[in-house]
Amino acid sequence: MNLSIKIGNAKFDNPVTVASGTFGHAEKYFNLGEVKKLGAITPKTVTYRPQEGNPPVRIVETPSGMLNAIGIENPGIDAFIETKLPAFQKTGVPLIISILGYSPKEFADMAKKLNGQKNVKAIELNLSCPNLKQKSLVAQDAQATAEVVRAVKKQTKIPVLAKLAPNVTDIVAIARAAERAGADGISMINTFQAMVIDTKTRKSKLGNFTGGLSGPAIRPVGVKMVYDVAQKVKIPIVAMGGIATANDALEYLIAGATMVAVGTYNFVDPQAPVAVLEGIKKYMRAQKINDIRKLIGSVNK
Amino acid sequence: MTKDQRPTIYMDKIQGKYKVVSNSKLCDRFWRLEFSAPSIEKHTKPGQFVHIRVNDGLEPFFRRPFSVYRAKKNTEVFYEVVGPGTQIMSEYKKGDVIDVIGPVGSAFKMPRKTTKQIVMIAGGIGIAPFLPLTDVLRKKRKDLEMILLYGGRTKGHVYPMKEFKENGVKAHVATDDGSVGIKGRVSKLFNKINCDPKTTQLYTCGPHPMMHAVQDFAKKHNLKGEAACEEVMACALGACLGCAIQTTEGYKTVCYEGPVFDLAQIIF
Ligand SMILES: Cc1cc2nc3c(=O)[nH]c(=O)nc-3n(C[C@H](O)[C@H](O)[C@H](O)COP(=O)(O)OP(=O)(O)OC[C@H]3O[C@@H](n4cnc5c(N)ncnc54)[C@H](O)[C@@H]3O)c2cc1C
Ligand SMILES: Cc1cc2nc3c(=O)[nH]c(=O)nc-3n(C[C@H](O)[C@H](O)[C@H](O)COP(=O)(O)O)c2cc1C
Ligand code: FES
Repeated sequence: MNLSIKIGNAKFDNPVTVASGTFGHAEKYFNLGEVKKLGAITPKTVTYRPQEGNPPVRIVETPSGMLNAIGIENPGIDAFIETKLPAFQKTGVPLIISILGYSPKEFADMAKKLNGQKNVKAIELNLSCPNLKQKSLVAQDAQATAEVVRAVKKQTKIPVLAKLAPNVTDIVAIARAAERAGADGISMINTFQAMVIDTKTRKSKLGNFTGGLSGPAIRPVGVKMVYDVAQKVKIPIVAMGGIATANDALEYLIAGATMVAVGTYNFVDPQAPVAVLEGIKKYMRAQKINDIRKLIGSVNK
Repeated sequence: MTKDQRPTIYMDKIQGKYKVVSNSKLCDRFWRLEFSAPSIEKHTKPGQFVHIRVNDGLEPFFRRPFSVYRAKKNTEVFYEVVGPGTQIMSEYKKGDVIDVIGPVGSAFKMPRKTTKQIVMIAGGIGIAPFLPLTDVLRKKRKDLEMILLYGGRTKGHVYPMKEFKENGVKAHVATDDGSVGIKGRVSKLFNKINCDPKTTQLYTCGPHPMMHAVQDFAKKHNLKGEAACEEVMACALGACLGCAIQTTEGYKTVCYEGPVFDLAQIIF
């Protein structure tokens, strides 16, 4: 059975990874013998300078999901490379490093620092974090998206993924802009901007006032968006949004995703990514599909 | 311990499915759940907690964190029914299987050699992490005087402290309405504390205003203390950074760097 897939010139043994920000920042899960089975690990987004994150409360539970407003708490790219990356590299699992800059130049400078780093197989551009008090997201503007992708592509040969936001009128237009600018793939979707109000105090339940909705609640919207984008772009899609089970992941693959990421559901069941991988294999055996590429985008109309 | 010296988590050992041994109501709103989890019983240190998946489906979505109340023959959790998650737990029957992550989090530091009195100051359900502490200290440090200052709303909220007493703990109670012990806040019991920085060690767990009062008292008398904190949690494994609280050293995760922190460090 062939499970391996490609993004740009990077090859991954299987299509299952974890969504950025849901898999820790350090060695915490690394003894999980099972981590080694993943197609890739995607650590939490890093920024150019360290960020302390948003004030508490940072998370709130919602029906079949959650809101978060973490605010990209991270040590900054230099400290990340020095103190966190080695442990990730030691796992031997291919890495997709998520970065966020406040200008195309910051994005490009960070990408440059990742050149030559062992096991860094792709760079994911977080163009879509809703929790940083920015007026608008890069991924809400086709031109801004293209600019960042171009700036990064100039500095690195590592394949580049553009991570898009679902809070847009037409996500296909943004995906196409990223593709034209040279992106090697699209990651989608990030969280939906959302809020929860405590009716007793009439205050938001989050310290940051608003947050991003994720988890199984958003999955059907994600599947539709991936389907739409897959119709119009040729580059591979890394899909996330509410994946909890192998069946959820299969929906995304059939809709046109090349890779799938388990995000929020890691918090409910940290062994879910491996269960998803095993479930995909089981499905392929049962359906007599010998190559994952035959499954990708195979939706019947 | 600083962050990087923390023991690494062995996932295959810290997530498991365990059988409920018993689940019973103790008084008014307090319940006690007992399940058999050999690896939790073996590895838990006082102050650590478990993260229980209360339901198989997606509601409620998050797991729920609970201090380990006892880790001897079986693992025990002492809980108050406050919402949908704990409501579901209260319906567990003997033989039910539950999915539990743990033990996780930091533990209480053992008292120093010079310590003579340890004072546990608890409000409501905050008493839970202290029983295992006294289980350990009772054996290790027979010379210690252990006192518990306990504050509850009313009679029905006061847990009969039988096991604490069996461990040699002297308990003092304050209730808001005076139905048990003295009337008023737990701070009225602070006069039981021997204010000698060399020989007294404080531990506290409970509502923020109470722990804040303990912090002020400790600062005034230069006493050392530790606080077990709570925050809403998603992963309980230091992965999501969702359970951060403010400390004098910046944000820290309650689930991984805590729940037990140096009392002086927390910004309430
Ligand atoms: C490290 C730790 C140890 C804990 N130990 C115990 C224990 O030994 N016994 C016990 O009864 N409870 C303990 N708690 C609190 C317990 O986790 C909550 O009471 C429980 O999650 C409530 O779930 P629910 O669905 O019944 O109520 P919900 O409807 O979720 O909540 C009811 C109320 O509890 C608050 N709450 C919810 N989750 C938490 C949380 N994680 N921490 C603090 N408050 C919360 C909510 O804000 C709300 O006001 C602990 C919490 C932490 C973080
Ligand atoms: C607690 C939390 C933190 C997140 N942090 C990041 C992040 O740092 N960078 C990023 O690109 N996405 C982040 N995300 C978004 C996820 O990677 C993912 O795109 C989104 O949650 C949808 O997938 P899911 O429903 O499977 O979680 C975060 C999500 C959550 C719940
Ligand atoms: S609950 Fe996820 S980091 Fe603490």
